Amino acid sequence: MGGFSIKSEPAGGAVLVKVNGFLDAHTFEQMENTINNLFNENSFKIVVDLSGVDYISSAGAGVFIGAIGTAQENKGDIVLMQPTPHVKEVFDLLGLSQIFHFADDADTAVKFFSS
Amino acid sequence: MACAAKAEMEDEGGAKLEIESKTENLSRVREFMSKQVSASQLPPAERGKVILAVDEAVANIMKHSYEEVASGTITISVKSDAERLEIHVMDSGKKFDPNSIRDIDIIQHVKEGRKTGLGIFLMRQIMDEVEYSFKEGQRNELRLVKYVKPKPRPGPAVQAGGGAKGA
Repeated sequence: MGGFSIKSEPAGGAVLVKVNGFLDAHTFEQMENTINNLFNENSFKIVVDLSGVDYISSAGAGVFIGAIGTAQENKGDIVLMQPTPHVKEVFDLLGLSQIFHFADDADTAVKFFSS
Repeated sequence: MACAAKAEMEDEGGAKLEIESKTENLSRVREFMSKQVSASQLPPAERGKVILAVDEAVANIMKHSYEEVASGTITISVKSDAERLEIHVMDSGKKFDPNSIRDIDIIQHVKEGRKTGLGIFLMRQIMDEVEYSFKEGQRNELRLVKYVKPKPRPGPAVQAGGGAKGA
């Protein structure tokens, strides 16, 4: 229960990062490392598929706060895809829903970067 | 391998969980709190948020009071009645008063890529009362209260980056 995994794959000029499990103070560094590795590879258009994330705490949300500025400075962004209602609620509580872009599916998320 | 909780017990004073200060134990804290909120009178919509607030409190203790050293112990005790759920989180680490941390301005935080203070902000957003006490040479104690029926809050509606409450 609660096994954590991250998988990245190219998706129409962006990178789709699929996350599963609990994104909390125990696992956030793996998420941070994944995003930093993408930045090091000059990938700044990032879609994070949160549909498999059962739980997120401020440590998990903090990864995206730390990364969105770098992504935007490099003509990219971070789009959050299909968060569960519980996960979306945490973004709402933190006031992050007014800052991040959310998408219902991968096509919409990738199209965001060409709009 | 997951580190098991040291102990979980229940008596007439409520339920109690004792864990070592390791982030891998946060999932154990959430499981424990899930049982407590399910058995309480809290509306279902508030239960997940209370679990989050306690997770944030414990994660802060691990980071700030014990400074990520795993030898410390954290005790969580919970009692509830028809009016409220009351949680005490205790540790013997360094003095760490969450009330010393000011509320965040989330827009500014994102601009600067800063991640500090988010957990305390969430605790204040979720809980009706957040109270800290420190006994020199003994322990930090954080008291969190959530009322079954929402209490009217003073001042304007709290928004992200807005004022603190209950602290």
